Amino acid sequence: MIAILRGLTLLGVLWASTASNGAQVSEPTGEEIARRSLEAFYYAGNDMRARIAMKLVNPEGNARNRELTMLRLNLGRAGGDQRYYIYFHAPADVKGTTFMVWKYPAKEDDRWIFIPAVKAVRRIAADDKRSSFVGSDFTYEDVSGRDLDEETHALLRKEDFEGRPAYVLESRPKTPLDYVRRVSWIDRERWVPLKEEYYNARNELIRVFTAGSVKQAGKHWTVTARTMKNLQTGHRTEVAFQEVEYGVGLSQEVFTERYLRDPPRQWIK
Amino acid sequence: MFKANLTEFSIRHPKLVLALTVLVTLAFLSPMPGMRTDTNPKNMLPPTSEVRVWNDSVDRTFRLYEDTIVVGVVNEKGALNPDTLRKIRDITAATMQIKGVAARDVSSFTTIDNVTAAADGLRVGPLVNRIPETPEELAALRRTLFENPLFLDRIISRDARTAAIYVPLEKGANGKEVADRIREIVGAQAGGERYYIAGDPVARDTFGAEMFKLMGIFSPIAGMIMFAAIYYMFRNLALAGTMMLVAMAAIIWSMGLLVGLGFPVHIMSSMAPVFLMAIATDSIHIFNEFYFRFRESGDKPRVIRETIAAVSRPVRYTALATAAGFAVLLFMKIVPVKVFGGVVVFGTLALRLLSFSLIPAILTLIPDRALAQASVSEDTATDPVALTLRKIAGVGARRPLATAIAGLALVAVALAGVSRIVVNNNLVGWFKSDADVRVADRVINQALGGTSLGYVVAAAKRPDDMKTPEAMRYLEGLQRHLERLPVVGKTVSVADYVKRINRVLNGDDPRFDAIPDSAETIGQYLFLFSMSAKPADLDNVVDYPFQRANIWVQLKTWDARAMQDVIDAVADYKRRHPSEMEFKPAGIAYFNLVWNNEVLWDMLLGFLLALGAVFAILVVNFRSVKWALLGYVPLLFTVLLIYGVVGFAGKDFDMPISVLSCLSLGMAVDFSIHFISRFRQRLDDAGGAASADAVREALAWTASRPGKGVMRNAVLFAAAFSVMLFAPLTPYVTVGAFIVSMMLLSATLTILYLPALVVLARPWLFGGRAIAGGRTAA
Repeated sequence: MIAILRGLTLLGVLWASTASNGAQVSEPTGEEIARRSLEAFYYAGNDMRARIAMKLVNPEGNARNRELTMLRLNLGRAGGDQRYYIYFHAPADVKGTTFMVWKYPAKEDDRWIFIPAVKAVRRIAADDKRSSFVGSDFTYEDVSGRDLDEETHALLRKEDFEGRPAYVLESRPKTPLDYVRRVSWIDRERWVPLKEEYYNARNELIRVFTAGSVKQAGKHWTVTARTMKNLQTGHRTEVAFQEVEYGVGLSQEVFTERYLRDPPRQWIK
Repeated sequence: MFKANLTEFSIRHPKLVLALTVLVTLAFLSPMPGMRTDTNPKNMLPPTSEVRVWNDSVDRTFRLYEDTIVVGVVNEKGALNPDTLRKIRDITAATMQIKGVAARDVSSFTTIDNVTAAADGLRVGPLVNRIPETPEELAALRRTLFENPLFLDRIISRDARTAAIYVPLEKGANGKEVADRIREIVGAQAGGERYYIAGDPVARDTFGAEMFKLMGIFSPIAGMIMFAAIYYMFRNLALAGTMMLVAMAAIIWSMGLLVGLGFPVHIMSSMAPVFLMAIATDSIHIFNEFYFRFRESGDKPRVIRETIAAVSRPVRYTALATAAGFAVLLFMKIVPVKVFGGVVVFGTLALRLLSFSLIPAILTLIPDRALAQASVSEDTATDPVALTLRKIAGVGARRPLATAIAGLALVAVALAGVSRIVVNNNLVGWFKSDADVRVADRVINQALGGTSLGYVVAAAKRPDDMKTPEAMRYLEGLQRHLERLPVVGKTVSVADYVKRINRVLNGDDPRFDAIPDSAETIGQYLFLFSMSAKPADLDNVVDYPFQRANIWVQLKTWDARAMQDVIDAVADYKRRHPSEMEFKPAGIAYFNLVWNNEVLWDMLLGFLLALGAVFAILVVNFRSVKWALLGYVPLLFTVLLIYGVVGFAGKDFDMPISVLSCLSLGMAVDFSIHFISRFRQRLDDAGGAASADAVREALAWTASRPGKGVMRNAVLFAAAFSVMLFAPLTPYVTVGAFIVSMMLLSATLTILYLPALVVLARPWLFGGRAIAGGRTAA
């Protein structure tokens, strides 16, 4: 019995080692790493509900705090259309302001905002996914992900990053943006980004994303504390996911103008 | 005693003295390659000064840039056409690539955020994303520009001919280098438009570059002119060379010390070489006396000793007075002025050291024959200059009352002029009227809101107070009040953004171009704005806790006093509309005002200190208060006359002039010292009697012999500074004109007025027939 167990263990070890050998032989390509990371970081679960605290910190150390609930629904496979719904709890004078984004990877998003003071929903025509997301140092793309085809991806190396095994991926936008090169450290097991560095055309480091803590919510690894720092302005935004749930059963109906005016009580507490 | 020993040593070991001088000079020359300039007006005051600390904190709170370059694009047929717009787009894009440019905050048609009403909502994005081609599109753009106060007078002029690009610079970027790159970019554009590049950093850094050129060109030219003048006076190359050598050595020592101690060269210290060159001319008195005596005797070593003995006291005291005039600058708050004072004090002392060592050494080495030949013409009886001087002094001595009354009348007129003096500094005004920098500034100031920027920071009592309708309306009212000032071209505040959003959210209805009635609405508008526009837009006008707001005030002039008008207008508004908000000025325009005022107080303080110091030196030198008072007259008279002219001419009383006012006392007093010392010596030598005849005779002698030295000194001094009259930067011209007129005036007034006053005050000065005061040993 013991011998059998021992034999099984040995088999298991052997199997594991061949598996890892196999992985070494067929290392994922840069494109694959980027895709897996997009899936894990931006498309985890079919939907998501999170209570988020956002802190905008200026170089002086002054902070503006925002509290919001974010709802997200995927409309298809990873990399496809998404719906976002955001309800602001704080600051006090904007409580009740809601914001909705219909994200399309290949074209400009649709965005709407409900402003309680004028009791009206306004569509916001914006033609730049690189613009700031609700005034933070994150861009809309930083929040909802970049279309894979808009960048080329190359695996630079594998290394440990702060105790985690990581792929170091280099991505270059096909048409130069505010950055021309992005280097990401992607967790080899959990596929979430641990750090991202953005370089401009003068090869200066301009922005840095860091994952402060990564936790498991349900079966999904989630970056629950994240910071984006703009090195040019010295400004940074810290985000903390206080409650995260996946697969809560959101329907498309929630992501409509009606619910912008009248937030869905079921999800917004 | 020391001087005598030093002279004795130099006569005995002339070659050693020469070699030592060369060695020391080489040592001071070594740090020179590390020379750097600093033309940033901010450095007029130390970084710890209140205004700089405050301005820095305002910059940080509101994410402001210290320096912004303004590029004006002018198309006489109107800038709103596809071709010009394309050029603006390309220039903007290329400018954003320049190192040192804060690309993210460049404001131009293609980068500035525009919040507009769209079909079913609002649109936020760059004003021009796609170049409008059709007449309809162009008309729409025109409408957008003209209905939005955030654009009009800022990026487009009211006549639509001038568009502007605002290029903020990162800390430490060189404005001239960035401006030069922008010039290349606009130079590569096809014709049709004219381009103007203005702003404080351009003016400042261009000034720095010019300054280096001036030092390199004008100091040597001043040297050559002096060389020629000395040669003309003494007809001896070796002597002219000696004088130059002394001057050069002192300049190298002083500038070497300045650079070696790690100080940058600033506007004032860049003039130090010319000042030292001119101060070096004081050793002319040694040569002057030497020549008269050498002609009388011929025994060179003895003549050298006697010469030094005769002139050492006045030369020493004039040096002391000059040094005191400059040393006063060390007590000032304006940093570059302090440094300048230190440099020149050191240089003056070096010059005196060299006068009593290097000059005797070289005189010893020069062959007697060359000297004899040169000194042939030195005879007071035949020399036309000496005769003229004797006549001038004669006028004063024979008609003392008339001379004095004429003088008093002039003083009265001068005082009227002095009362009209306006204290003002204008950095752009330091360039000549046709200089690129100034033309650009003028064009942009005429077309747009203004190139000089000041801020008015409003501070409320509690956080979030700035979101109240009352605070917003107050800001709005204050802005309208400020815009009534002729110097204010444009103001922008957070209220403008709130009004804009109110209008856009309400169907672009102009009736909603107003502050809404509830703080909550304003809060939500600002939130919406912060969500959609560039973060800097909001940060520039309101702080994080919404407790302080920043009103941008664009000024159409760099005159320091323009900001005073703004401050007064704010105070006036607050008096009429009491508010618990506090208002404080900030920005570069405010800084210019502060140091402008510092200059004034410094100058007053310095002038009083110089008056005191010079008087003390005169008292010690003459060992008599009476003679010291007398020696003061030509000096004060000169300074008064010059300031009278400055007042009548309407010339701004700026930093260079105010610095000169202190120095002039120390420099102009030289002639009095020489004249009075030598006059009293002469009286003593003649037996000590102070009868009217004896005094007249001694006065005539003094005017023609040491007087010639005074005149030579004045002419040389003036010659050196006359070069500056041709400088392309006005402060140099001002300094040149000031010194030239001061030297010539004070020399003339000394020779005319001292005799008149001595004759008039003879009973008082000499106490009956006895000679008052301690006597000077010859």
